[in-house]
Amino acid sequence: MNKLLRPWRDRAFQILALALAIAGFSLTSVILLQAELEKRFAVRTAEMLGGELVITGTQPLEDTQRALLAATTKDLRTSALIDFSTVLVHKEELLLVSARAVDDSYPLYGDIQLANDRFGPSITRPNGPPPGELWVADQVLDRLDLALGETIKVGKKALTVSAIIRQLPDESAGFYSMSPRVVFNTQELEATGVVGPGTRLKYRQLIGGDLNSITQLSTALRPGLRPDQRLDDVEHAAVRSMGPLRQLTLWVNLAVLLISILCGATVYLATSQRVEQRARLAGLLRGFGAPRRQILQRILGGEFMAVLPAALAGSLFGATFIALLHNLLDWQGPLAATGSRWLMIILAPLVLWLAFALPRLSALVRVPAIDILNRRNASKLLATHVELTAALAAPVLLAGLLTRSLTDLGSLLGLLVALGAGLPALLWPLLKTLDLASNKLPLAARLAVRRLSRRPTLTLPLLAALTLAMAIIALAGQTGTQLLDDWRTRLPEQAPNHFVLNLFERDLDGFNNWLTEQDAVPQPLYPIVRGRLTEINGEPVSRAITKERGNNDESLNRDLALTEADDMLASNKILTGEWHPAPGTVSVEQELAERLGLEVGDKLIFTTSRGSVSAEIASIRSVDWDTFEPNFYFMFYPGGLSDQDVTWLTGFWLAEGDGKRLARLMQSLPHITLLDVNTLLDKANEIIAQASGATALLAVLLVLAAVLVLTAALLGGQTQRGLDNALLRTLGGNRSLLHRVVWLEFLSLCASAAFAATLIVFIALYPLTSRLLNDLPSLSWWQIAPLVIGLVVAMLGVLASRGALKKPALSLLRDGG
Amino acid sequence: MNKPPEIKLADIENPLLEARGIGKTVAGPDGELTLLEAVDFTLAAGESVAITGPSGSGKSTLLGLLAGLDTPTSGEVLLENTAFSQLDEDARALRRGQLCAFVFQHFHLVNDLNALENVMLPLELKGEKDAKGCAQQWLERVGLEHRLKHFPSTLSGGEQQRVALARAFAVQPRLLFADEPTGSLDHANGRRIGELLFELNRETGTALVLVTHDDHLARRCQRQLQLEAGRLSEITVTASVQ
Repeated sequence: MNKLLRPWRDRAFQILALALAIAGFSLTSVILLQAELEKRFAVRTAEMLGGELVITGTQPLEDTQRALLAATTKDLRTSALIDFSTVLVHKEELLLVSARAVDDSYPLYGDIQLANDRFGPSITRPNGPPPGELWVADQVLDRLDLALGETIKVGKKALTVSAIIRQLPDESAGFYSMSPRVVFNTQELEATGVVGPGTRLKYRQLIGGDLNSITQLSTALRPGLRPDQRLDDVEHAAVRSMGPLRQLTLWVNLAVLLISILCGATVYLATSQRVEQRARLAGLLRGFGAPRRQILQRILGGEFMAVLPAALAGSLFGATFIALLHNLLDWQGPLAATGSRWLMIILAPLVLWLAFALPRLSALVRVPAIDILNRRNASKLLATHVELTAALAAPVLLAGLLTRSLTDLGSLLGLLVALGAGLPALLWPLLKTLDLASNKLPLAARLAVRRLSRRPTLTLPLLAALTLAMAIIALAGQTGTQLLDDWRTRLPEQAPNHFVLNLFERDLDGFNNWLTEQDAVPQPLYPIVRGRLTEINGEPVSRAITKERGNNDESLNRDLALTEADDMLASNKILTGEWHPAPGTVSVEQELAERLGLEVGDKLIFTTSRGSVSAEIASIRSVDWDTFEPNFYFMFYPGGLSDQDVTWLTGFWLAEGDGKRLARLMQSLPHITLLDVNTLLDKANEIIAQASGATALLAVLLVLAAVLVLTAALLGGQTQRGLDNALLRTLGGNRSLLHRVVWLEFLSLCASAAFAATLIVFIALYPLTSRLLNDLPSLSWWQIAPLVIGLVVAMLGVLASRGALKKPALSLLRDGG
Repeated sequence: MNKPPEIKLADIENPLLEARGIGKTVAGPDGELTLLEAVDFTLAAGESVAITGPSGSGKSTLLGLLAGLDTPTSGEVLLENTAFSQLDEDARALRRGQLCAFVFQHFHLVNDLNALENVMLPLELKGEKDAKGCAQQWLERVGLEHRLKHFPSTLSGGEQQRVALARAFAVQPRLLFADEPTGSLDHANGRRIGELLFELNRETGTALVLVTHDDHLARRCQRQLQLEAGRLSEITVTASVQ
């Protein structure tokens, strides 16, 4: 026991153990958090898709497909839906609705949000309507003057309207559609008589189950898909690339990489100190005739046994922390991590220690015993180029293992490796120049510079560690706060929680008055003209767009909402061309433009209820679909849609309250469509709150790891510094000179590191912000963080050296000897 | 072997360095530990004294106290008849820089400085204007003119100790403290360094306090003192008193 506790008396070991405990804590937290995020990702994606695997087509499944499904169904859950458009008639009012026939298994994921009252509270239901009932969107009640409990015919079958649909779990994307939604049980489908030749139906087969069975089924189904069929699965769904979730995944991966690097750097620096202290033991053992392997085993074994509890304690704290977080955030089910991840949790900090400490400790058997015992050629104990390269590669490999993919961070990694390798090449000439120039400097400055410039194997790792820690604090600080700001802007406190469609010109005054009365926060009004894209550059779209390109694209088969606006939405960005340079121009959304092969300069014609509208594409623009604001595929130059049938669209934020206020609005403007997106907003807010929490937690861990590196860096070289000072005092140097030398040494060291770190920050910020935030870097106080940290570290370094200045010179010279 | 030079009574009455009843105790695991007890010591200008004694008898501790590198817990040290041990750290360093020089067993050269810069260091601390020229001369004097730009790690033990001797004598000290100057060297190198030390000592007329285990080296001093269990006693007086 004593043997295990002995190393703890040494400050370098304490730092080493703390670094491993923090590495254990951080890596465990991050691995578990990653597993939770992936699970929640998968569940959320499955919710949005409707299942882990979804087959969509205009015809029912083929018999062979059914057989495949039946063969694996014992492990899977399935549900079949049919979507179609139909017209409901009530009291001589007609309404085009999007109908969905669902079986008893629907939904496979999530719940259906219903209400018994137009403005009443939501009720959660795990399944769809029973036979005989019809659930409708609130607009159906408004537009058809219908009440709950009344019956209405869907085709030939009369169904009782029994609930108002607030939200279907697989409908969160594209939250407003042009036609209101109705849902009924599949058992009634035949009786409605709407299914027949010529009816446009969309069959959706939802499949849920464990990932292996899903992957097998997906692989088996894919080759036999008909041209009208599409297969979507969780692995390939676009949801994965959605805003905050994508950013959070990237941020987590980045944090894993950086924490590995920082903890590795600390282990490296602290182990270097340990090597110096253990050198005498190694020399003695060698002197007594112990073979190299035995010495390495003894020293390595002793160190391993001593650091093991620290690493395990860190991992245990990390697991406890995430378990607490799991309970606190009310995440359902057990922790998501599987066996392989738990193994990684135990091994990761130890692998980190081995990667960094083993090559360092091996120096003890490399140097001849007599040199160690006589304190000659101490430089042989210092790092070799191979070690420094290994030190650079180890965390990158570890991060690769932990994140399972480094492709997302490829450019940043490349940059880090290049900088890591290039940093000494960059800084060394600087120090050498400083060395040459210092010939003319006063004695204190000359001594300070030479302490740095003439100990490359000690100074360069120290400088690299300081630089890295400073750069990482600045980068993590800036990107972390920018990420949080980005999410906050995306969902401001008063983000619109209601949207209004189908407002006419004559309604606007009344509507605005209502907004003022209710203290609602209004959003801009957008004129909407419904139009279908019919010609591109004088050719009909069916000919202008080839089949491969997507002439069957959904956007070509329906009316699109066209709008005009003076200003572009803040979340949009022009990718090519220019925003509204002249009348008669239009700006097109990037993804649609890509699908249809549209380019700047193309001339488009849309068919509308009043004839046609034409415009030339002046810009292609990216759109952030995750924001709670209306987005449009086509935005015209102001006046481009004059003389058309225009309705208006807008959103507003309304404080929570009873439904009477909205009821009054609906009574005075019964033809408008009012969408309540509070549920969606709450869900989005919840995701962002959790993502913000995780981001802040990782930022704190990063800063902690960086502070450790700085501490280890300060410790490094302290013995030598003490010895140098003692010698100076013996030779007649006074305290003021020693203070000046120490100050200048730390200032030069920290200024060089701050200079290099600032360079890294400016170089890395561009790829980092563009990958993480899809944005350009902005000026921030974080960019001067390396300078401030440099100053603080220099002060701490001087303070840490004060002890050595006070110690009698004789004892230092004797210890050193 | 050269016979040590004689010293005059006047020098003894007006010593360069004097210790009056100095003692040193430190805290040990079993309470206070006495390293030195009531030691009296005098050294005349130009005189050489060897302090011998078994390991752990307190020789290096005594040297450190005499040189003002540490302070005694009792008694006082006087340098040129002024209280030396009662000065503060900076004042002691200043006096040391003006009057004293050192040679250590482990050489204690500054690893980051080359041979020339190591010798220049105390000269610069003393404010010497032509530190470089002076250092160069002294390195030539110890036979290292071809090693001026070499760093300590590239010099042999004997060469490092020669640099240390050049560094010590370059400042023209009135008093040289040498702590086992041949202790880290082989016999041949040890002899050469011993020769050089006494040769330079004679040339410059520097007083010498030499701590050593080497009897041959000790015998070359004018006086030999034996330190045993923290107490100092005179073995022989080789100088004749007029």
